[in-house]
Amino acid sequence: MLNTFLSHQRKSFWRSRNRGGSIAAQVVLGLFMLYFLLVALGIGFGMKIFLPKFFPHQDAITSFNGIILYYFAFDLLMRLQLQELPTLSIIPYLHLKISKSKIVSFLNIKALFSVFNLWPFLLFLPFCFVSVLPQNGFLVVSAYILSIISLMLLNNYLILFLKRKSISNILFTIGGLAIVSAFVALEYFKVISIMAGSDWAFKAITKQPLFAMIFPIIAFLIFKINAAFLRKNLYVEELSAKQEKKVSTDYAFFNRFGKAGELAALELKLIIRHKRPRNTVLMGTIILVYGFLFYKPEVIQSNSFGMMLFAAVFMTGMSIISYGQFMFAWQSSHFDGLLSNKIDFKDFIKAKFLLFTIASTILTILASFYCFISAKLLILHLVAYLYNIGFTTVMVLILATYNYKRIDISRSASFNWQGMGATQWISIFPFILLPILIYWAFNIFHQPFVGLLAIGLFGLIMLVTRGFWVNFIVKRFEKQRYKIAEGFRE
Amino acid sequence: MILEVKNLKKVYGDKTVVNIEHIQITAGETIGLVGNNGAGKTTFFRMLLDLIRPTEGEVLSKGENVAHQENWKNYTASFLDEGFLIDYLTPEEYFTFIGSLNQLSTADVGAYLTQYGEFFNNEILNSGKYIRDFSKGNQVKVGIAAALMQKPEILILDEPFANLDPTTQIRLKNLLKAQAGSMTTFISSHDLNHVTDVCNRIILVEKGQVIKDFKTDENTLKELESYFSA
Repeated sequence: MLNTFLSHQRKSFWRSRNRGGSIAAQVVLGLFMLYFLLVALGIGFGMKIFLPKFFPHQDAITSFNGIILYYFAFDLLMRLQLQELPTLSIIPYLHLKISKSKIVSFLNIKALFSVFNLWPFLLFLPFCFVSVLPQNGFLVVSAYILSIISLMLLNNYLILFLKRKSISNILFTIGGLAIVSAFVALEYFKVISIMAGSDWAFKAITKQPLFAMIFPIIAFLIFKINAAFLRKNLYVEELSAKQEKKVSTDYAFFNRFGKAGELAALELKLIIRHKRPRNTVLMGTIILVYGFLFYKPEVIQSNSFGMMLFAAVFMTGMSIISYGQFMFAWQSSHFDGLLSNKIDFKDFIKAKFLLFTIASTILTILASFYCFISAKLLILHLVAYLYNIGFTTVMVLILATYNYKRIDISRSASFNWQGMGATQWISIFPFILLPILIYWAFNIFHQPFVGLLAIGLFGLIMLVTRGFWVNFIVKRFEKQRYKIAEGFRE
Repeated sequence: MILEVKNLKKVYGDKTVVNIEHIQITAGETIGLVGNNGAGKTTFFRMLLDLIRPTEGEVLSKGENVAHQENWKNYTASFLDEGFLIDYLTPEEYFTFIGSLNQLSTADVGAYLTQYGEFFNNEILNSGKYIRDFSKGNQVKVGIAAALMQKPEILILDEPFANLDPTTQIRLKNLLKAQAGSMTTFISSHDLNHVTDVCNRIILVEKGQVIKDFKTDENTLKELESYFSA
């Protein structure tokens, strides 16, 4: 029976209607996945080297022990946002002569096919074999592996249960993220240490591998609770994440910006109330960790901002680029309504600028925590910020007037590639490359700060002349609106 | 004369979807646009609303070309399909938004909506749902109510009776009849009974061309029925 289910699943994937156009996207997605998995594997094997570097005052195994629980805390948050409930696929089976327990076990097995369940293996197992095994022997390593797998399963089923049981509100994720960040901060200032706790737990396991049994027991309990819950509530409308009561909201903050503010508030609701744009924007905050890869002490010391500019522009402008590349298409389902209503196109375009500016400002403020590494980074971020709100916003909106591809945002697959075309991919690079080129031009004369100044000045000029650019884009928009509307109707 | 259509043509590839030589509409008329699928009704409406660029010709609203200025938006309201609704808003948010575009305060909108309790059958306001979660019929109701709320001089509705339950169809007819004379209404419908009942002028289109254009009288329904059964 399970095999039949799985074969149906396979067929539904290969025969799905929108597959035709999106094979290329699937390949790209596959490459991305491969990339991330390789990165994970690289980190996994590199841990022996990385860990002592990040935590120089303790031995690698202590650090390794310390990060395990941290990882799974983040993992839980990521899953809360990204992992999907495997639900809808069972509707055609519910009325057939198939026992409910079989359907439940199918759902539970299907839930295992998630990338999240692959990462822990790649991240942690290499280190287990390379470092823990020679030092502590086979029994301890088995206990480690058992714990890690159990924690993974625990997270997997806990999330499914939480999602089914309650609402997967974005506030949960943000709240959770805040809690974990608070713990990181407490850790940093040595108040409370999760790392020590995590280390303590795994030290105990090293001493007495039987302690590891506690993780599979908890995981099994959660699994059972989830299965029992499913078994009892095998009705389609109850299975999918619960609907919360929708309330009307009013973002008073935007009122001060007049009509444009109202339109911006409208679009903010669009972002918050749909998964795809929401994730696109959230991606911008996740990208904030990029700095750790690029901001190396020796690079900062020598003022070589070239590569760091890449990270800075990316971090302060990611949401502009990623959200902006589908600009107007987010609103494709009600574009006719927007055009036929009494909306001044100038306000419409201004609203976009307003949103972009707010998003970029928030990201820049968030990114300013890098000043703990070096105050120079603040200058760098300020330059990137000016560049983004001055230039990137304008370019993104000009390009948007060439985008006629409809997006159906109500369809909520995590990896929904509808509306993705070659232009979207290509359009990202110039934004990133231009400031680096400007910078390099000045760097030839060994004037890194003059280079930064030039980029900042460029952004500032664009910002000051924004009125002109708004009019320019409005003109283009007026010309293109029939074509855009037509594309969005398809 | 509030609306004038001159030489309006829309061509897709080698297919002419709309080809209307001349229509004049005086203020206060209620016009029914009738025709089979593919007659070009929706395309025609979209050109009236400047959503599609005509291949040739022009639509003049109070003497001004709708494609060249936007003054017509001040006195024109419309609901063609769900594409006009912002479906991730609650109905209240949507009405408030539309109201704000027309200088109506939240209080104005609330006052306006109270008279629609019956029309909405108490299913729409305070329902705790987004518009996208409503049935099609209720979505149409939201769209029509939002259009009427703007107190337009010109109202354009595409198949407003489809998807509505019988009670609401009758209510909508009464609403439209009550406005006759003060508002210029342009509706399309496949239901000959309804259009002849509501409209005082019928424009019959086929393959994008105006076949008949006449005032309704007691024989209109029979005339239309015989035309379509032929």
